[in-house]
Amino acid sequence: METLIRIDNLHKSFYDGDIELKVLKGVNLDIHKSEILAIMGASGVGKSTLLHIIGTLDRPTDGNIFYEDEDITAFSERELTRFRNDAIGFVFQFHQLLPEFTALENVAMSRIIRNTRNAVDKDGIRYNSDDAYEKAEILLESVGLSERLRHFPNQLSGGERQRVAIARALVNQPKVVLADEPTGNIDDKTSEAVLDVLQDINERLNQTFIIVTHDSRLSERANRTVHLVDGKIAD
Amino acid sequence: MKFEWFVASRYLLSRRKQSFISIISIISIAGVGLGVATVILVIAVLDGVEHGLKERFLANEAHIVLRLIDNGFYGDYQNKIEAIEDVEGVVAASPVVYSQLAVFREGSEQIEDVILIKGIEPEIEDKVTGFTKFVKGSYNFQNDDLIEQARLLNNETITGGIVLGSRLAQRLTVNEGDVLRLVVNMTEDKFSPGAFIPVIKNFVVIGFYESELTVYDDHITYIDLKAAQKIYNEVGRVNTIFVRLEDAELAPKMSEEIEEAAQFSVLEMPTTRTWMEKYAPLFAALELEKIATVIIEALIILVAAFNIASTLIMTVMEKTRDVGMLRTLGSSRGNIVRIFMIQGSVIGMLGTIAGTALGLGICWLLSSNVARPSPWFALGAVAILILFQIVIVLRRIMPHSKLRRGGLFVFWLLVVCFGLYCFVVPISLKELGLSAIYQMNQLPIKVNWFFVGFINLLSFAICWLATIYPAWQASNLKPIEALQYE
Repeated sequence: METLIRIDNLHKSFYDGDIELKVLKGVNLDIHKSEILAIMGASGVGKSTLLHIIGTLDRPTDGNIFYEDEDITAFSERELTRFRNDAIGFVFQFHQLLPEFTALENVAMSRIIRNTRNAVDKDGIRYNSDDAYEKAEILLESVGLSERLRHFPNQLSGGERQRVAIARALVNQPKVVLADEPTGNIDDKTSEAVLDVLQDINERLNQTFIIVTHDSRLSERANRTVHLVDGKIAD
Repeated sequence: MKFEWFVASRYLLSRRKQSFISIISIISIAGVGLGVATVILVIAVLDGVEHGLKERFLANEAHIVLRLIDNGFYGDYQNKIEAIEDVEGVVAASPVVYSQLAVFREGSEQIEDVILIKGIEPEIEDKVTGFTKFVKGSYNFQNDDLIEQARLLNNETITGGIVLGSRLAQRLTVNEGDVLRLVVNMTEDKFSPGAFIPVIKNFVVIGFYESELTVYDDHITYIDLKAAQKIYNEVGRVNTIFVRLEDAELAPKMSEEIEEAAQFSVLEMPTTRTWMEKYAPLFAALELEKIATVIIEALIILVAAFNIASTLIMTVMEKTRDVGMLRTLGSSRGNIVRIFMIQGSVIGMLGTIAGTALGLGICWLLSSNVARPSPWFALGAVAILILFQIVIVLRRIMPHSKLRRGGLFVFWLLVVCFGLYCFVVPISLKELGLSAIYQMNQLPIKVNWFFVGFINLLSFAICWLATIYPAWQASNLKPIEALQYE
């Protein structure tokens, strides 16, 4: 299987004054294209930290991450921001939708960011700058929310919000979607529906997912499950 | 910028709490607006006073005075005046014998006062200082009935008529037809060498000069030019030339041109004084007052800008998680900076525009003498409108919608305008008993458009600067920490 992301001897420490707290102690992991990978582990073991580093929201203390053989740990802040916009989608435990914007606008947001950026780019690549809402609408329809386009987050149920968040993660056709406890904040029945959506997208669009969870039902749906134990991947 | 405008405008018009514009934005806009309106209004009043005083002074003041020092007299003044009148921008020039003389009342041996005497030709002087407009009574210095009467009654040598400043006349307690005795010279007493006796000329009071400007009414008297020349034994000569210009503001520049045109000889070189030099202390004081006011007013705008800064800092705190999410979605630090700077700048701009409109509106109301509805009618109307609004709110007559919010906004804007229209009326200085001090009947307003533009730019610049720190603070948030912010 083709490797999308290669994580090579990743270390991450946090400092509290002079005290070093080692969270990741040499993580090695390959993530394949089009798979759903579940990362499981006890709480506080560093699952989210690993996900944030993969998602370029944080930098490792040591080690490298390669996206299709490109080492993103060498990227500048600006390059990382751009990379995050283009190549990574996020789904969080708490949906983190922007309360002032409708479902449609929330989904379209990162595409609007990209279109705005590219409108001033001089590299010759231009995106149709008006396609954001079109894309967002298609995605919201595909997660079953075609009736909820103009609703604000506070007018949506927990499951609906999480589905909007999934649609938002997909709008720029990212290489990978990173989900941090996507079902952690919703009831069982709704969780199933959200997982159905994830699986459906994975199958239809060959979308790669990395899901951090301690929900065993979720790992059942994954193609592969790895466990993070004591800062390392346990096989 | 499309993305930044999109986010910033939504934060400004935050719909989350179902208000037309988030209340905090309104407060910030009002802060800036009131600051700008106050500045415009106060400066318009100060400018109005300065302009009004200038107009009053210039109405009976020569713009340039060419005066020979050391009691010298010009010989061929007619030629000089003709040459001066040929200079472009000069309206007219008049010959004057200008001097100070002691004055006795008839029948008194006591010197009453020392007064300024202007020997003039009324018709020519009129063109320069508008002389005749301010005279109550006659200014026919040679052939007035009063002169004839006095000559008959007193059997004295009456030189001619005299026009007295009205306040001076009150002080001297003289009326029309009374005789004033001017000490024009001193001669040595033939009988007691070393002692001097005054040479006295008699003039009949034929009119009063009333310009309502204390400076003049208190001190000045007019006599005929020829009479004045005779007093000094300088027939056909004058010691002063008064000049009026088309544009008084050009006086300093024109004075040189005029000196050149008149071709004064070395011995006749006059001291030239413009009206500006004469009133320099007054206008300097006014100018200082204006500068002080601008500084104070700029501080008001600064306070309003702090308001914007604190609004933005609060918004940044409230939106920390949003900022974290936007950064996660791939917006750059620059994007975040611009979002908050746009938000603050829009507040600053709306405040500035609203303040300018309010300030100019009040200026117009303060200077417009159009009849207004009576205050009771206005109060009644506003009360009915407030009742109307309460009924709408309580009975839920109109459904909540953008249209309703917009409609109510416009409605209340009109109510406020109506209220201002009814209650903001020109301020009468006469009623306040200040007309004598300010020499004006109504509080004068003069809008300086250049200054309005300047204040707009200044206000906007200060507001813009106030956005920098909060915007920078927002852009410095680390995405993960921001996302986890509670």
